[in-house]
Amino acid sequence: MNEVGDALALLALPFAASVVFVLMHAYLGVHVLRRKIVFADLALAQLSALGATVAIANGYPATSAAGMGYALLFTVTGAALLAPTRGLARHVSQEAFVGIVYVVATAATILVVDRLPQGAEHVKKILGGSILTVDPADVAKFTALYAAIGLLHWLARQPLLALSTENQAAGRPRAIVWAWDFAFFLSFGIVVTSSVATAGVLLVFSLLIVPAVIGSIFSSRLSVVLMIAWGVGIAACAVGLAGSYALDLPTGAAMVMALAGFLPLAGLAKALVVVGARQRRANLRIAVTTVAGCALVALLASSVWLMINPTADQPLLALVERATGVGPAWLLGPTERDTFESATRDVLRFQAEVDRLDAMEKTARYQGKPLSDDEIRRIASYQQSFNEMTRGERFVQETLRGKARTRARWIIGAPGALIALLGLLALTRQSRKHHASGSKPNGVASNESAVT
Amino acid sequence: MRAGLLGLVMAAALAAATPVWATTRVVTTTTDLAALVAAVGGDLVAVESIVPAGVDPEAFEPRPGDLAKVRQAALLVRVGLGYDYWVDAIVNQTGERRLMRAGESYLDASAGIPLLEIRGQSVINEGGHAHGVANPHYWLDPENAIIVTAGIAEALVRIAPGERDRVLANRQRFLAELATRRARWDRTLAPFAGVKLIAYHNSWPYFARRFRLDVTGFIEPRAGVAPSPAHLAQLISAGRKVQVRAILHEPYEPEDAARFVAQKLDVPVVRLAISVGSLAGTHDYLALFDYNVATLAKALGARRP
Repeated sequence: MNEVGDALALLALPFAASVVFVLMHAYLGVHVLRRKIVFADLALAQLSALGATVAIANGYPATSAAGMGYALLFTVTGAALLAPTRGLARHVSQEAFVGIVYVVATAATILVVDRLPQGAEHVKKILGGSILTVDPADVAKFTALYAAIGLLHWLARQPLLALSTENQAAGRPRAIVWAWDFAFFLSFGIVVTSSVATAGVLLVFSLLIVPAVIGSIFSSRLSVVLMIAWGVGIAACAVGLAGSYALDLPTGAAMVMALAGFLPLAGLAKALVVVGARQRRANLRIAVTTVAGCALVALLASSVWLMINPTADQPLLALVERATGVGPAWLLGPTERDTFESATRDVLRFQAEVDRLDAMEKTARYQGKPLSDDEIRRIASYQQSFNEMTRGERFVQETLRGKARTRARWIIGAPGALIALLGLLALTRQSRKHHASGSKPNGVASNESAVT
Repeated sequence: MRAGLLGLVMAAALAAATPVWATTRVVTTTTDLAALVAAVGGDLVAVESIVPAGVDPEAFEPRPGDLAKVRQAALLVRVGLGYDYWVDAIVNQTGERRLMRAGESYLDASAGIPLLEIRGQSVINEGGHAHGVANPHYWLDPENAIIVTAGIAEALVRIAPGERDRVLANRQRFLAELATRRARWDRTLAPFAGVKLIAYHNSWPYFARRFRLDVTGFIEPRAGVAPSPAHLAQLISAGRKVQVRAILHEPYEPEDAARFVAQKLDVPVVRLAISVGSLAGTHDYLALFDYNVATLAKALGARRP
C-alpha cells in the first residue's frame, strides 16, 4: 500500500518531465526530420558535454553559472559549425558533417576527462541520464525554458519552417539563410543540452525522432503531425514508465523501448485502420502472410539446427520447454529422469546453503559476536564448495538435457522441418494464386480505383 | 649564488651516495596497493600505480606507456579477484614469464584474505565489471593490510634478500602505527555500531564488517545499469522502515540517485574515498581511513539529538 503510494510519488515527476520533453522535442523532431539531420542532437549534446567537462577542468562545477556558460559557449560553436552545412549539402550529405562533429566532440571529451578524472561522472550522466530522479525545480526550469523557445519558434514559424522544408532555400540572400539556420541550431542546441543532462542521450534522441516519425507516417500537415506526435509520445512515455516500474527495469532504456514499440503499432494502424475496406483486406492478408512466413522460417531453421547439432543451444525449443513446463524429462529413461530431478533439487539446495551462509555472515557484521577471520575463511570455503557442487549438478543437467535433445533430434526435428516446409509451400501457393486472380496486394489507393 | 652552488654540489654528492641500483621498481594496479608497498618498501622501492590517483580503477583503460612500466617492474602487485582484470592483457603483451601468475615478480595481494560474498558464477565480465569470485574491496578493512603487507614484504625480500631487516622493520613500524590509529578509528565509530546505511555500489562489505556497520541496500546493485523505479521505491520504503541514517556515495558516480534517495529519507549523502587519492586528504593508506572514519562519524553524529 505504502509502496504503491511511493511508486506513484516516484513516477509523477518523471512523467511530468517527459510530457514537457515530448511537447518540445517532438516539434523540433519534425524540423530535424525535414532537414534530414537526425543526428544533429547528438552532436550538439556532445559538444555541450565537452563544454561542461572543460568547465570542470577549469575548476567550475558543471551546474554553476560558469559551468553552464562553458556548455552554452560550446553549443553556440556547434550551432555556428552546423549552420553553414546547408551549402555543403550539394556535395556531400549534411549528415556526414553532423556525424564528424559528434565523433570529434566525443573523442575530445574523452581526452579532457583522461587528464581530469573528476569529469567522468558528468560524462556518465550525459550518456545514461537520470529522468527517474529529476527534481521539481528542474521540471519548472524546463517548462519555462521550453515555453520561451516555443514562443520564439511560433513567432518565427514562417521562415523557420520554410527553411526546414526547402532544400536550396531558393531566392533568399545567403546571409539571411545562414542567420536563420544559426538561430534554429542554437535554440535546438539549448533544448537538447538541457534535456540530455536529465534524460540521457538515448532517450532524448528517441523523444525527438520517434513521435515525429509516427506523426509523419499519417500526415504531412504540421498541425496534424504535431497532434499525433504529442499524443503518441506522451502515451509511450507513460507506458515506458509504468513498464519500468512493473517489470523492474532501468527507466531511460524502458522508455526508449516503449517509444520504439509504438512504431510497428503505428505501421499497423496505418495499414489496417486508416484505409478503405478493400485496401484493409489486402493489407491484412499481407500482414498475416508475413507473420506466418516468419514463424514458419523460424520453425524450419530451428528444426534443422536441432537435427544438425542437438546438444548446442536450442533457443526455440528452450522457449517452448519453458512456456509449456514440459522439460526434457519425457525423453529420458526412469533412472536418468531421477538423476535429472535430483540434480535440479540439489542446485536449489546448494544455492540455499550459500545464501544462508551469506545472510549469517552479513548479520554477524553488525550484530552479536563478530566472526573471526578464520570463521570467515571457513564460510568462504564452504560457499566455494557449494558453488563447485552446484556447477557439477548443472553439468549433470546439461549432459542429460543434451542426451534428451539428441533423442529429440529426429522425433521433433524431422516433423518440425516437414511441417514448416509444407506450411511455407502452402503460403507461397496461396499468395501466387491471389496474385494470378488479379488483385494487387500492394496497391495504393489510386491504383486500386483504376483496377475497379 | 654561492650557497646555491654549494647546495647543488651537496645534492649531487648525496645522489651519488644513494646507490641507484638498490631501488626496486614496483608497479601496482591501484593506488591503495602502491601506498602499502611504499609503507613496507620505504626508500628501497620506487613504486608506481598503473591507475592514477582519482581515476576509477574499474573503468580504467590501460595505455601504451603502461606496457613499458610493467615490463621494467621488478615486482607487480595486483588486487586480483577480477577487479583489475586488464593487467593480464598488459602482462601477456610483455611476454615475460616472471610477471605472470606464479612468476617470481608477480603478487596477487588477495592471497590469504578472508574473502566476503563468494559468488556462484566466477565469470570475470570484462566489459561491465561484474566482480569475480568474491567482493574485491578488501583493502577497505585495515586489518587486511596486515595480510597484504606480509605478502609484499615476502616478495620484496625475495627480490632483494640483503634488505630483509630493513623491510621487516619498515613493516613493523607501519603495523604499529596502524594499530594505534585502528584503536582511534574504532573509538570514533564505536557509537555507531549497527547503524543502517545505504551505499551506491557494493563496495563496503569489508569496511562494514570491521567497523560493525549494516549496509542494508545499494542504489545501483549492478554497476553501470541505472536503478529501476521499483528498486528505488523498495529501497526508500525499506530504508524508512529500518531507519537508514546516511547514504554512502563514492567518487566517479553521478550523484542524482543518491541525492534523490537521501532527500526522501531525509539523511545526508556521505562522500567516502574508495581508494587512496580519490578524494582530497587521502594521500596514503592511513590517511584514507582517517578521512573516511572522520567523515562518516561527522555525518552520523550531526544527526544525533
